[in-house]
Amino acid sequence: MLDLNTKKIKKNAYRITKVRGETASRIRIPGGLLTADLLPKIQEIAETYGNGRIHLTTRQGFEIPGIRYEDMDAVNTLLQPIIDQLEINQVIPGKGYTASGTRNVSACIGSNTCPFANYNTTDFAKKMEKEIFPNDLHFKVAFTGCANDCIKTRMHDFGIIGMTEPQYDKDRCVNCQACVKACKQKSVDALSVENYKIVRDAAKCVGCGECVINCPTRAWTRSTKKYYRLVIMGRTGKRNPRLAEDYLVWTDEAAIIKIVKNTYKFVKEYIDTTAPGGKEHIGYIIDRVGFKEFEKWALDGVEFDEKTIVKGPVYWSGPHYD
Amino acid sequence: MTTTNPYTPFLSEIKAVIKHTDIEYTFRMTFSGDAKPGQFFEVSLPKFGEAPISISGIGENTVDLTIRRVGKVTAEIFENYVGDSLFLRGPYGNGFSIDNYIDKEIILIAGGTGLSPVKGITDYFSAHPKKTKGFTLIAGFKSPNDVLFKADFEKWKKNLNVILTVDTPIDGYCGKSGMVTEYIPSIPVKNIDDAIGIVVGPPMMMKCTIDELLKKGFKEANIWISQERKMCCGIGKCGHCKIDDTYICLDGPVFNYTKGKFLKD
Amino acid sequence: MGYQINKTKMNTLFTDLLENYTIYAPKRFVGGGTFADTDCIRYGEISTLEEIEFSEKSDYSFKEVLLPISETLFYFTEAVMKESDPPLKEAIVFLRSCDLHSLNRLDTIYLKNGPVDPYYKRLRDHTHFILMGCENTFENCFCVSMGTNQSTNYDAYIKVTAEEVLIDSHWNLLDQALANAQPFTVVPDSVSINNISVEIPESIPQSVFDSTLWDDYTARCIACGRCTFVCPTCTCFTMQDLFYSDNGKAGERRRVWASCQVDGYTDVAGGHAFRENKGQRMRFKVMHKISDYKKRFDNQMCTGCGRCDDICPEYISFSNCINKVNALVKEENR
Ligand SMILES: Cc1cc2nc3c(=O)[nH]c(=O)nc-3n(C[C@H](O)[C@H](O)[C@H](O)COP(=O)(O)OP(=O)(O)OC[C@H]3O[C@@H](n4cnc5c(N)ncnc54)[C@H](O)[C@@H]3O)c2cc1C
Ligand code: HEM
Ligand code: HEM
Ligand code: SF4
Ligand code: SF4
Ligand code: SF4
Ligand code: SF4
Ligand code: SF4
Ligand code: FES
Repeated sequence: MLDLNTKKIKKNAYRITKVRGETASRIRIPGGLLTADLLPKIQEIAETYGNGRIHLTTRQGFEIPGIRYEDMDAVNTLLQPIIDQLEINQVIPGKGYTASGTRNVSACIGSNTCPFANYNTTDFAKKMEKEIFPNDLHFKVAFTGCANDCIKTRMHDFGIIGMTEPQYDKDRCVNCQACVKACKQKSVDALSVENYKIVRDAAKCVGCGECVINCPTRAWTRSTKKYYRLVIMGRTGKRNPRLAEDYLVWTDEAAIIKIVKNTYKFVKEYIDTTAPGGKEHIGYIIDRVGFKEFEKWALDGVEFDEKTIVKGPVYWSGPHYD
Repeated sequence: MTTTNPYTPFLSEIKAVIKHTDIEYTFRMTFSGDAKPGQFFEVSLPKFGEAPISISGIGENTVDLTIRRVGKVTAEIFENYVGDSLFLRGPYGNGFSIDNYIDKEIILIAGGTGLSPVKGITDYFSAHPKKTKGFTLIAGFKSPNDVLFKADFEKWKKNLNVILTVDTPIDGYCGKSGMVTEYIPSIPVKNIDDAIGIVVGPPMMMKCTIDELLKKGFKEANIWISQERKMCCGIGKCGHCKIDDTYICLDGPVFNYTKGKFLKD
Repeated sequence: MGYQINKTKMNTLFTDLLENYTIYAPKRFVGGGTFADTDCIRYGEISTLEEIEFSEKSDYSFKEVLLPISETLFYFTEAVMKESDPPLKEAIVFLRSCDLHSLNRLDTIYLKNGPVDPYYKRLRDHTHFILMGCENTFENCFCVSMGTNQSTNYDAYIKVTAEEVLIDSHWNLLDQALANAQPFTVVPDSVSINNISVEIPESIPQSVFDSTLWDDYTARCIACGRCTFVCPTCTCFTMQDLFYSDNGKAGERRRVWASCQVDGYTDVAGGHAFRENKGQRMRFKVMHKISDYKKRFDNQMCTGCGRCDDICPEYISFSNCINKVNALVKEENR
């Protein structure tokens, strides 16, 4: 006769499923990039304890269904090398994942492969995972290399979109206007020609880097410093799904990490403990207590880069079904 | 350093301006060096740019440049020539060698501003009619309003066979009309093996005209053409005018058709 | 004379040379590449041995030292036309064998084809060339096929080993500076085999110009010009005249690199372009490199550095195209 504490089980990253007696184990892959040698380990769990099938989750994890609740300890043992190799923070080694509230930090492939990416998304995602996991609060953070937003950061609580500040060396420019065409056709038309040289409208430029990619002479190069657009509080769901809106433009890594960590404190302070399961999502908390209060907490001790533009107060749209 | 700088233009005085149409003027410029019809100067306007312009006439210490207003540099010439001088560098290119045509029958066919580079040849034979065994000028223009060198035509008509035709006549025009090519078959030529054909004009016009001359029996080696291409330097450096192993600015713009026919852009 | 000295001494020598010379060498521009977190290796000023990138081929060639990408010819004020000043110092350029051969191609155009170009000459006459050896071929090089894999006309050859610097000097100034150094027999490293080889037909019939071979490139080439901008033997430029927007009275005339692959190269007033089709532009470039230049000047223009193949974003291979032309000519001659 099974006698289970479902709350504990869920925190251990097992799911209470619709099939009586069976759970599912969720494996987090921060940044969505793993080495192939982990796959046989995942295969082994699925074949030994699961039903032989593996689900690729929306946010770049693996979910192994069909596991008997009795086998959770054994599965946790098999999970350990995976947890170790991916360097997931863990309180008790050998006991599986310490929490599940803060979701896998996901990332598009970024500058590992993608020509459009402005930074290494996986590296930043792993760094973020190290900072915020384990935690029971429901946070979704995602990283994308450029404004194409392949990972759909705009459906996350925090979305980080890569930017570069293009640097122009007029002495290398041959006025081929490849950059002007690229910016006009693929981006925001921020470039113009004056006296055979290029002028960038800094207020219009979204830092996509198309000009850099298309310049045949290296007249355009990337800034040494990496910049990001931080979009916040996107969500799906039943009451008011909505896209995340711009909060910071031309911000940096340190500010982003600090703001996300500050938000945990804000949620802890304001979460409605009487909500079902004690769970209230950040976006709804901000809707309830107001953006100003959130911002006060979020920016505590944050130092902005001189280029950073703060777009608060932020307003969101999306349909309201409630 | 003693190398002279071929990019440095010299100042040349504008002696006269002859207005043919609203957008085509001849500028008579002081110049005392050697110059041949078919050669060209780079008109060099500081802060605006340079434009290659053919020599359309050669006088005592002057050269004529007939310029059509089409873009940045040429517009600036028209707007501000009142400064009564222009910077030039040149002359460049090989030009036509009149010696090749002396004592021969000649048909010279020119389209539009293409008349400029061959005007010197016409002037020469008009001044020395004994040195040719028959000289026909067929000049074609878009419309009567585009006709250049009207006064010269009057002069040439006196001792040369001149056919002036326009593509599209307008009311009140009573001259000839039609394409230059239509007039070629009827020109009498006594010794076709030795007759000279000279063709200058827009690319399509040149192609059709040359075909017509060949059909008439002209030898390829007796046909001469002048080619215009984009030019930025005029002195064999910038590459823009190159076709095959030929630099139009150095080896041309005048070519014998035996060579010119192989030039593929 | 050959010498062996240690690296510290070499850097001291550099310091001395910097009094009168600017030293240019292939240099790694970290983060300066096309994509995020990629580098670019191109020419820049250096002051120590360690700054020189010996292990990889430079993405762009040395030509920008002698033919600056954007070079002012004249400054204009209302009344005066003033030739731009030459640099105060002489120059030293580190380069590989194929590039030293390419220098000959630049010389031909700028010193022999028509009048001498004074802007080129004033840099050229005051530049010294230091050969960098090639122990192994790089990916796309075909210098052996082009006969450019070895050079003797250098001012000096420099090789850096784990501990020492080996120098072969043809330059009095260095011989004097190294008078006390240990004499040593130094033979430049050069490759005798590449991964790529090309065969260029002796003469190319007119039919190749009209071949459908070129059509393939019409859709593939994006006319970006990279292949010609990286090429050490491409010499084309366009003039630019302008006035400084502040008062309209002062201005300048400059020349900037141009490319027969890029839109606008053959455009004339009224909008006509003589070579619109990109396949035909490819044909024009290839013919210039392996035929036209040779007809005029007796040696091939291309020196087989392979940079055009290294950089083409559309993976268009120039060397493969040469071999396609060769196959076509063979076919025709059969
Ligand atoms: C050998 C030769 C002889 C010529 N003779 C004459 C002549 O007698 N009369 C006349 O009116 N025109 C002549 N042209 C054409 C004349 O050079 C162009 O119309 C002129 O360069 C246009 O300059 P723009 O700045 O006004 O026009 P834009 O359209 O502003 O041109 C900008 C630049 O493009 C180049 N360019 C544009 N068109 C041409 C062209 N057709 N040929 C060469 N380069 C060009 C020039 O570098 C010019 O500075 C000749 C061209 C050549 C090559
Ligand atoms: C009891 C509470 C919840 C549980 C157990 C839960 C569980 C999960 C799990 C297991 C996933 C797949 C995760 C992965 O791929 O790593 C997921 C995805 C998702 N969850 Fe939840 N969830 C909860 C509450 C919420 C709430 C409150 C919201 C929205 C307000 C939400 C929105 C989403 C969305 C949008 C996804 C898809 C992933 C994405 O695109 O971001 N979930 N959830
Ligand atoms: C050269 C161009 C591109 C390539 C090669 C490319 C390739 C890919 C690949 C391989 C994926 C992963 C698909 C998967 O998860 O199965 C992907 C996903 C995605 N791409 Fe691109 N992409 C390109 C351009 C773009 C552009 C321009 C956009 C947006 C404007 C875009 C938006 C997306 C999105 C939103 C996803 C997420 C896919 C999903 O939800 O299924 N991509 N792309
Ligand atoms: S970074 Fe993007 S938006 Fe900015 S100028 Fe370049 S192409 Fe345009
Ligand atoms: S792409 Fe590069 S070389 Fe071309 S106009 Fe832009 S900056 Fe200049
Ligand atoms: S054509 Fe290509 S291989 Fe030949 S010299 Fe130029 S860049 Fe090098
Ligand atoms: S290949 Fe093109 S860019 Fe290079 S030198 Fe020849 S014409 Fe000029
Ligand atoms: S061949 Fe390649 S590098 Fe050269 S212009 Fe075309 S696409 Fe660009
Ligand atoms: S015009 Fe520059 S090479 Fe002929």
